[in-house]
Amino acid sequence: MITVASLTKSRASVRVLEDVSLAGAEGTVTAVVGPSGSGKTTLLRCLNGLETFDSGGITVAGHRLESGPHGQGLLERLRRDVGMVFQQFNLFSHLSVLENVALAPRVVRGLSAADARARGRDLLDRVGLGAFAAARPATLSGGQQQRVAIARALAMQPRVMLFDEPTSALDPAMSAEVLEVIVDLARTGQTMVMVTHDHALARRAASWVVELVAGRILRQGTVAEML
Amino acid sequence: MKSRRVWLFAAAVFFSLAGAAAAAELDDVLARGELIWAADQEGGGPHVFPDPVDPRRLTGFEVELAALIASELGVKPRFQQGQWDRLPLLLGRTADCVINGIEWTPERQRDYRCSRPYFAYALQLLTRLDTPLDAFGTLAAMGPRGRWRVGVLTGSAAETTMQSRTDLEVDVVGYDGTIDSLEQVASGVLDAAVMDDCIFNFYADRFSRLRTVDRPFAGGFYTILTARNTPRLSAAIDEVVGRLIADGRLKSLYDRWDLAGRQQMLLLRDAAEIPVARRKSIGELCRDTLPLLLRAAGMTVLLSCVSFPLAVCIGLSVAVGRLYGPPAVRPVLAGYVEVLRGTPLMLQLYAIFFLLPKIGIALPALAAAILGLALNYSAYEAEVYRAGLRAVPLGQFEAALALGLSKWQALRHVLVPQAVRIVMPPVTSDFIALFKDTSVCSAITVIELTKRYSVLALSTGRIVELAVVTALLYLCMSWPLALLSRWFERRLEGAEPPPPAA
Repeated sequence: MITVASLTKSRASVRVLEDVSLAGAEGTVTAVVGPSGSGKTTLLRCLNGLETFDSGGITVAGHRLESGPHGQGLLERLRRDVGMVFQQFNLFSHLSVLENVALAPRVVRGLSAADARARGRDLLDRVGLGAFAAARPATLSGGQQQRVAIARALAMQPRVMLFDEPTSALDPAMSAEVLEVIVDLARTGQTMVMVTHDHALARRAASWVVELVAGRILRQGTVAEML
Repeated sequence: MKSRRVWLFAAAVFFSLAGAAAAAELDDVLARGELIWAADQEGGGPHVFPDPVDPRRLTGFEVELAALIASELGVKPRFQQGQWDRLPLLLGRTADCVINGIEWTPERQRDYRCSRPYFAYALQLLTRLDTPLDAFGTLAAMGPRGRWRVGVLTGSAAETTMQSRTDLEVDVVGYDGTIDSLEQVASGVLDAAVMDDCIFNFYADRFSRLRTVDRPFAGGFYTILTARNTPRLSAAIDEVVGRLIADGRLKSLYDRWDLAGRQQMLLLRDAAEIPVARRKSIGELCRDTLPLLLRAAGMTVLLSCVSFPLAVCIGLSVAVGRLYGPPAVRPVLAGYVEVLRGTPLMLQLYAIFFLLPKIGIALPALAAAILGLALNYSAYEAEVYRAGLRAVPLGQFEAALALGLSKWQALRHVLVPQAVRIVMPPVTSDFIALFKDTSVCSAITVIELTKRYSVLALSTGRIVELAVVTALLYLCMSWPLALLSRWFERRLEGAEPPPPAA
């Protein structure tokens, strides 16, 4: 489902990623860990084309990304199959919680407004926020906002979910509620890649752990071996 | 243009107090050694105009007349420029007298001191060679394009005379200069123009496609205006004019300017006294002017409410193009903004209204005004929306892209709606600014509230009363706008700031 082969990326003559290779089969959860500035987030952002890379190649959910600039059409097709959850949630502040979740299915997948909202309601119920459908994102707690962001990404029914430090901006109580949602998701067999500092999250949700240091893979293995 | 209305109001207040203020009497003029005379060089020949040989110098028969009068008084003449229909407002402030084809009317008799007549004018109808307008009487029936569009100089006798002729199927269009209306007849925007015959005779060579229709149909006399509280200056000017007529110097001046001196002298000899107009009561004043002011206020609303949404649409498109469009168009759009923002609205309106017809695009005045306002304000809105779009956190754009939205979908559904909310307060205040800038449109013959006020104030002499009524009308219209902008601000303050960018 995910293959990264010899990925190399420099930014202003500094190597950010060097010869990174990894693979994630369908239904696996890969956790990428490592110190700050080790290139974890950059690697994740390469997986859905938010960043380009200099050499190597990526295959995600059947879409092949080559080095250099990506075509718009390819990116749009890939991103329909690859959801992403950001550290800072990035909920659309002008839309209600439900509209946040229903926007992409309507605009990108072409669902009717009613179908998109129905799908949105199901997902909000699934992350325990059905009661907040009409609220503005800014009125929610950080943990609630991150759960909405997860529901929003799931609404596109992605084959792969990417998480960028999903609990780093949250206090422990709020982290826990987000963690439960992600663990539930892992149980359903959702293929995921998560970048995290949070060892509790990695231990409970991941099946494979990759440790990145200074842009290189230091070691990788099962959760039992690594953590 | 806000300053223009403030200026007008200040002028109005000042003028009303001028009775008490010290206007320059004869003694002051003599002590100063200068007679300051006001005229509008934009009014054109043969009265007062820049010398074609040396445009820094003014020439014209009234320039020479002013020099003669000043020298008879034993002082030097000094020219003071002003807009023609507002020249009388300069009396007692920056000018001692007005010498500029000012027609002798009952209202002016009442509001100023009028000298004995120094010139007899006649009103002449003009048209293009190819129009079916063969006689003055033709105006009584509809023309091939409906009502005849006839240009006149704003505030002139031509305007009042044509407006009083309810028997004619004409729309009278006021211009700030006489040459403007000649240009517009030549380019086909107007069907005809009415002006003093001496003006057309002077410019006939330049406008070879124009012709006169019938003989002049009305006429009157030019007078030199002075302030009401300068009786001795007025009497001295009267005496000088009398002397110039008696000793033949005025006749030879007119002959030099090809103005039929002999005939002028005969007409001046026959000049009858013009009666002094009665002062209207406040009730009469309101009854006569309010409907006109209200209609003009409607024009102000129409101009703003049509042009501003256009400006916002164009401005938003330009902003999006500059930030997200193809690299090749970005400098073009930047140029668009700088050109429109860096040149005066007045000039842009002139270009649209007076220059486009020369390349075959003759827009009606209202369309030209709306287009001009929309284009000018689109440059400002483009900058406001560009700032608004940049203020939306990058994370919002990335989140939209990560969901599979295309760049344009992300703009349409995520970035633009947020930018619109962010810039609501400045955009609302731009709307109020445009609302007031509509007064510039009078330069291209659109009569909105400020123009109507200025015309009525000068024709009735009730500058202060009408200023109050006009100001109230503006307030009635801008108050709801102010409420709207405050409502938007409260709404935005109520909402928490968007989450910071990743």
